[in-house]
Amino acid sequence: MPQIGRIKIRLPRTIRKGQVIAVKTLITHPMETGFRKDKATKRKVPAFYIDDVSVYYGGTLISHAKWTIAVSANPFMSFYVKADKEAPLKIVWKDIKGGVYEKTVQVKPR
Amino acid sequence: MKEMKDNDFSNSRREFLKRTGFVSAALLSVSAFSAFIPSQKGELGGFMGALGSGEAQAAPVPGGIKEKLKSIFGGRKVEMSHVVMKTPIIAENGAVVPVNISSDLPMEPGNYVKKIYIFVDDNRDPFIASMDLTPANGKAALSLRIKMRKTSQVRTILEDSNGKLYGSTKTVKVTIGGCGG
Amino acid sequence: MIKKISNLREVLACAALVLAFTWLSGFSPGGARAAADNKAATTIEELTPSMSYKEYHKRYEAYYGDTTARMAEEGNPADFLLDDGKDLANKVEGTKGKSCASCHAKDALKLKGAAVKYPRYDADLRGIMTLALQINTCRRKQMGAKPLKYESYDQLALTMYIKSLSNGMPIKVSIDGPARPFFEKGKIAYYKRQGQLNFSCAICHVQYAGYKARSNLISNNKHHADHWPSYRLKWGKTGSLQRRFRGCLKNMRAKRPPLQSETLRNLEFYLTYINNGDLIQVPGMRM
Repeated sequence: MPQIGRIKIRLPRTIRKGQVIAVKTLITHPMETGFRKDKATKRKVPAFYIDDVSVYYGGTLISHAKWTIAVSANPFMSFYVKADKEAPLKIVWKDIKGGVYEKTVQVKPR
Repeated sequence: MKEMKDNDFSNSRREFLKRTGFVSAALLSVSAFSAFIPSQKGELGGFMGALGSGEAQAAPVPGGIKEKLKSIFGGRKVEMSHVVMKTPIIAENGAVVPVNISSDLPMEPGNYVKKIYIFVDDNRDPFIASMDLTPANGKAALSLRIKMRKTSQVRTILEDSNGKLYGSTKTVKVTIGGCGG
Repeated sequence: MIKKISNLREVLACAALVLAFTWLSGFSPGGARAAADNKAATTIEELTPSMSYKEYHKRYEAYYGDTTARMAEEGNPADFLLDDGKDLANKVEGTKGKSCASCHAKDALKLKGAAVKYPRYDADLRGIMTLALQINTCRRKQMGAKPLKYESYDQLALTMYIKSLSNGMPIKVSIDGPARPFFEKGKIAYYKRQGQLNFSCAICHVQYAGYKARSNLISNNKHHADHWPSYRLKWGKTGSLQRRFRGCLKNMRAKRPPLQSETLRNLEFYLTYINNGDLIQVPGMRM
């Protein structure tokens, strides 16, 4: 069964130095709105969503996103990074129940 | 006695109108539903499940989109250029609507796009997401998949480091129970 | 007294409304449907396609743009299933202590290209064997494991992984020999008018493909069988072709056969045959 917090990060296969690359990320998360009712128990499922995403490139915070309940389940996000150095790209997701999910990929420009 | 009767009559007449009005309205909606989309109930349930069935009854944020924009941007003017937003024109499931924003604005130190906002006018909370950017991003662009309660306008606003605002809007039709099975 | 009358009026009004709406909702040309059924059972009139796939695709691009294609490129949520499927193929299960990898090499790589022949005729089954059914048969017979529940996460993951091994290869389904009658049955299922709306698959996807129904563009029957199991935005989930069949049948207000029942397997066989030559592209991503 799918569990919460599995992450995929995609970078282009070959990266030239100074190229602006697209970073595509996927994470499994239910993103419960807090309005949905469980069909079996007839009770509202409490809200449970990611509200904070940070992107670190070489140790410095380059982007920071704020999300609400209105981001789809299993959130997908893509953005751009200027690959001007060989450094790790770390992305950290935080949900409202204190869960922290992170993954690091190495950007290796040639 | 006669007075009483008259009173009684007028009361009951009013009541009658009220009741029949209600009943027929209820019947109309129910039967219209079952007449045209009887088999969609399951789908609708699933959809509501995805979006939140309780959301339909929840009170909207007072003021809606206008208040929200005012509280974030004050009275600043938004220039409708330099931003390209791509969305599907029809979404069969409001719980997954892809939004793709890109811009040709410069991303240099001292002159860059500071923040990207996404709003959906008719959602309970029109604010969907925002992303802070720095010149290290190289390009002001963002892709996300968002939830929409109903057919509505999606708008994006970009704020640059000088405080100037750029924006773009698109309407997405959310069709529950379209033809795709 | 007056109150009574008003009540009576109310009741009458309600009754009239109820009658009117039951008539409206229950209305269906029963006689015509029965006649069409009888006709379909004996002869099948092949319909002429409304337009070529190329023309349809042009309309699709004009109407929807390239959103879905671009999204699939950006990141398909079904990719997670693909990884899980790989793990499942190596997982030992059942009484005989085997996994898919025990017979079909590590990561079941020997099954490369196996999916292009499916669905195929199976002599033991005396019917059409779909890939999902084959996996479950294998699990039961060779591994002594429990069959996976259709449309469950694991089942879709394993089917998707095994099908993805044939990615980029053209579908090559054979209808020769004993498979022929099942092909014909599938064709009947495709052309038979059914349900309250009195539609058949062919009416929409052959005769009126490229036109609109309820603000959706009706798809041409090309490329219908090459990308399943597929992630659909409408479901917000991954599903199989047979789930899609059932969705369509539901919209036609027709009786829905259970998953992997004979009718649906025959229908899948027919549809895959007419899609022969399309390259398998799993996982797909559709509206």
